[in-house]
Amino acid sequence: MSPAAWSPAEAAPSRARLDEEAASLVALAMIDGIGPRCLEQCQEQVGAGRAWEALVGGDVQRCEPLARRLHADARPAAVRAAREIDPATVLAEYRDRGIRVLVRGRRGYPTRLVADLEPPAVLFTTGPVPEPQVPTVAIVGTRNATTLGRTFARRLGADLTAAGICVVSGLALGIDGAAHRGAVDVLAGPLEHERGIPGAPVGVVAAGLDIAYPARHERLHREVALHGTLVSETPLGSRPNAWRFPARNRIIAGLSDAVVVVESRAAGGSMLTADEALERGVPVLAVPGHPSAPAAAGTNALITDGAKLVRDVDDVLGELGLALPSERPVGRAAEPSAPPRPALEQLLLDALGAGPLALAELVAVGGTGVDEVSAALTALELSGHVVANGGWYEPALPVERMVGR
Amino acid sequence: MFASIPSSIVIGVDGRPVTVEVHVANGLPGLSIVGLPDAACREARDRVRAAVMAAEIPWPLQRITINLAPSELRKPGATLDLAMAVGVLVAQGEIDAEAVRGLAFLGELGLDGTVRPIAGIVPLVDAVQAPTVVVPSSRVHEAELVGGPEVRGVSSLRELVDALRGRGPWPEPSSPPDPPPPPIVPDLADVRGQPVVRRALEVAAAGGHHLLMVGPPGAGKTMLASRLPGLLPDLDRADAMAVTRVRSAVGDPAGHGLATRPPFRAPHHGSTMVALVGGGSDVLRPGELSRAHAGVLFLDELAEFGPSTLDALRQPLESGVVRVSRARFQADLPARVLLVAAMNPCPCGEAGRPGRCRCTTAGLTRYRRRLSGPLLDRFDLRIEVLRPEIEELLGNDRGEATVEVAERVARARERAVARGVRTNAELDGEALDDTAPITDDARELLVTALRSGRLSARGLVRIRRVACTLGDLAGHRGPLGVGHVATALQLRAELAVVTGMAA
Repeated sequence: MSPAAWSPAEAAPSRARLDEEAASLVALAMIDGIGPRCLEQCQEQVGAGRAWEALVGGDVQRCEPLARRLHADARPAAVRAAREIDPATVLAEYRDRGIRVLVRGRRGYPTRLVADLEPPAVLFTTGPVPEPQVPTVAIVGTRNATTLGRTFARRLGADLTAAGICVVSGLALGIDGAAHRGAVDVLAGPLEHERGIPGAPVGVVAAGLDIAYPARHERLHREVALHGTLVSETPLGSRPNAWRFPARNRIIAGLSDAVVVVESRAAGGSMLTADEALERGVPVLAVPGHPSAPAAAGTNALITDGAKLVRDVDDVLGELGLALPSERPVGRAAEPSAPPRPALEQLLLDALGAGPLALAELVAVGGTGVDEVSAALTALELSGHVVANGGWYEPALPVERMVGR
Repeated sequence: MFASIPSSIVIGVDGRPVTVEVHVANGLPGLSIVGLPDAACREARDRVRAAVMAAEIPWPLQRITINLAPSELRKPGATLDLAMAVGVLVAQGEIDAEAVRGLAFLGELGLDGTVRPIAGIVPLVDAVQAPTVVVPSSRVHEAELVGGPEVRGVSSLRELVDALRGRGPWPEPSSPPDPPPPPIVPDLADVRGQPVVRRALEVAAAGGHHLLMVGPPGAGKTMLASRLPGLLPDLDRADAMAVTRVRSAVGDPAGHGLATRPPFRAPHHGSTMVALVGGGSDVLRPGELSRAHAGVLFLDELAEFGPSTLDALRQPLESGVVRVSRARFQADLPARVLLVAAMNPCPCGEAGRPGRCRCTTAGLTRYRRRLSGPLLDRFDLRIEVLRPEIEELLGNDRGEATVEVAERVARARERAVARGVRTNAELDGEALDDTAPITDDARELLVTALRSGRLSARGLVRIRRVACTLGDLAGHRGPLGVGHVATALQLRAELAVVTGMAA
């Protein structure tokens, strides 16, 4: 925030003038070729209103950030598009649809983003963004997740929400969606008063708020909007361009007190979110996986680089300083009460710990015939320890049934 | 002045008797054919005239009318040429009517008077209503397979006229062609590893269960499927005749002699619906489904077939026949096949292993949508095929040989026959408790699987049939146990749902 923009003369600008500024920002955001950084510089260096006037007047050179960042080829189209837009009407439409327009520097703008490295000049939300005193944790991961990964994300989302923490995620397929599904499970279920107020989910999306992307998460979109808020820096009606997703990731990192990566390949999009978090000094946590599992390559690498390891919600709460890392009895996860399993079943279950396997591979592991291994797998499936998905078998957390209700 | 000569035509794989009536009378010289001839049949006019003249018999300068009865049936092709020529000669008085009594004629004529071979001799001969049938000489052995009328072969119209006038002997049939070398059926022993696929092939062969193999390119799906016919027993007399009829009807040159082994057909995925199930508006031809009758139909790259083509397979797979109805006629084509299909798990082919596939969700959904649920439901066995490990490929341990497995398959099939069905796949779903009872433990397992959503109601019957086959293969007596049901359950993988939380 440059001192010039906030001189005493402008310390108490009129409401009308503030609205004009906000309307100009929204209108600028609607122009193809003006990205978040250009928008932010326009707002900071010349003021959105002046930039908008320059654009509509066709005199892009007059506005230095526009002259620098708006590509010369895109200018004629940008000017033409701008002349079609009436900022005041646009702003009124947002208000009519109940969408909040949060302008950087004004009330309602998320405090966590004010001092961000690349703060969005304007954000659109369906509800209030959590204040700094409310802890927020991002749960991110691959879209092409294993059943086990999705189950874990769902349980973590549920447990964090129940502990009063806002779950931030991108509403993508796979891990993202599973985390919010878990959060919604808790919020839609019967309230447990002794555990305090549950956290409200924050869905940060790359498309305009009126477009559910991916389409199959439309219901989840509505549920997150109902119990928490959706956040986007993309104007209404815009389909998500590819570049919007990494840009969206920086907002996820900026809004969170910690980022948990559940499953990611070595070069997955969630690794970019982790990078954004590290640049902002936000702690990154990761869920470990078997060394040979491709879906765990990214998270295992993060742990090697110093990310804290997550086994369950207590590990996350401990990192946030909300709960002491509990005294765990060694081997707690081994379910001491579980009766011993037949040797073949245990052998198969151990092999599945390394990732999904097909029947043929399990027969090789079992070292016996197809019939014996099939019988053991059927027993494991029906007792809920293994899930068959297509011809593939994956280990299942028995907890899935608890969360899924 | 008038002659009536029996002959026949083929519709689909069945022959229909046709009477060729010829009337010669004074009038404007010319020849007209009535009784719904198609284009090829109508052109017989010119062939018959040229062939008669080539046989050095004068063509009557009179009005000739040929009627093909029954007149409401469309007459395709050139199989009636010879009967027409003989009819003209008899009506004209060149041949004594007594000489052709009890003779039927089948064959196409060339302009030089040669009698050309025609497709479909087996159903044609089967359909003629006469004690003796005259066919092109190269088709005598095929015609004798029918075991019906006495067969005589001729190679030219001149030869035939001489024989009918009593001026020459009936030509001696040529010696039977050398039996074709037995087709080389690849042996199961060449397959390294792959215990699950081996088991599935054995079960498919024994119980007639349709099999779907899902696996990446290079996993050996085609190689494995081509070994399935070797596991099937020889055709019985009725099936052998049915297979031979189809071969004959499509003019398959390999169709010399009675078929003894089940056919294996592997049509390309570019095949049209008509090529697959048969049909055609004018000439009804059997498709690949009928050509694989009593054998194996292998559809590689199942998802690349047109969706409507695949859906056209559904009804025939259930009923075993393709019923083709046209405005003027109706025909049944045989279509009892063992369907084996192979497909990639997804467009990228990367094994479909959860957490590794590189396909977009939308791409996956599109790919899967190509296969309709009802078609996938027809597969009793659905297995994942993996690329074999390198050690397995280079290893020396040969698997069990085809003969050994085929012996088990034959024994299991005998037990199915004792139940009153050809194979267990045909077991009546309602009567399974009587024909293939299961133990209480096994029943409890099925109830649990149904309740947990692992098994659908439609899948239940199919699982029980497969379990029955597994019991038969093992020589099991008494009610089927948990092991049989559990294996059947694992050999019928649910098709992978597209991953992602669909709420």
